[in-house]
Amino acid sequence: MKVNQREVHGAAVLELNGKLTGGPEAETFRELFKTLVDQGKRNIIINLKKVDWINSTGLGILIAGHSTVRKAGGELVLCNVGDRIDSILYVTKLNLLFPAFEDEEAAADHFRKETE
Amino acid sequence: MAVRQEKMEFSIPSDFKFLGAVDAAVQDLARELSCGQRWINDFSTALVEACSNAIEHGNQYDKGKAVRVVICLNGHRLIARVQDEGNGFNYDDYLSDATPPDPLSERGRGILIMRAFTDELTFSRRSGGGVCVELVKDCEDGSPSSQA
Repeated sequence: MKVNQREVHGAAVLELNGKLTGGPEAETFRELFKTLVDQGKRNIIINLKKVDWINSTGLGILIAGHSTVRKAGGELVLCNVGDRIDSILYVTKLNLLFPAFEDEEAAADHFRKETE
Repeated sequence: MAVRQEKMEFSIPSDFKFLGAVDAAVQDLARELSCGQRWINDFSTALVEACSNAIEHGNQYDKGKAVRVVICLNGHRLIARVQDEGNGFNYDDYLSDATPPDPLSERGRGILIMRAFTDELTFSRRSGGGVCVELVKDCEDGSPSSQA
């Protein structure tokens, strides 16, 4: 899993590339979310455009990220969620936990409106 | 007319990086059916989850142990069996607990996912140790159940 990190209108964007499967890479993500929060980032966008699929341990990575960011008073949202991942979020009801947006701009707009 | 039957067997090491190969195998075999990409993806999601389970709970990431996968196309039906080489785990607890996990729990959704994307899901203990999971999904949209 490759991670491309950037910023869009003040929000931290993590663009993931590959298959989100958890396992040993979960710890790497845990550190990444902690680092972002330590750097003062509170608005996090996970771009899933280049993620083909996800398994239950991959979902665990997203939930861990959500919890870390939430505890720091921030919010983690998703964007570019494909049909396959959308189905998994729906059956696990995690669609209720993760706000999802069409693209990074729409996700950044969400954060902008929150601060207005 | 003969019912179409095909079978694919392979093993993967207990490493999540090989889950992509499982998905690719399902995508290739299921294209023989005319059930649509969503149906194929749903079955593959369930099978990848079963393999993830076998790697994590069955073989406990021991790369010296393999996960054996058998996929059978039988008429309009796709059947997959996933076997690990671990010491077995208590799947009864998972199966009997129909309650969705706490939304903030990072674990406990594997069987929920397998159930949601298959028509039948069966766990059994193997005589030589380990667990076998069988996943069945029927294609209802006019699949080619017979070979020309």
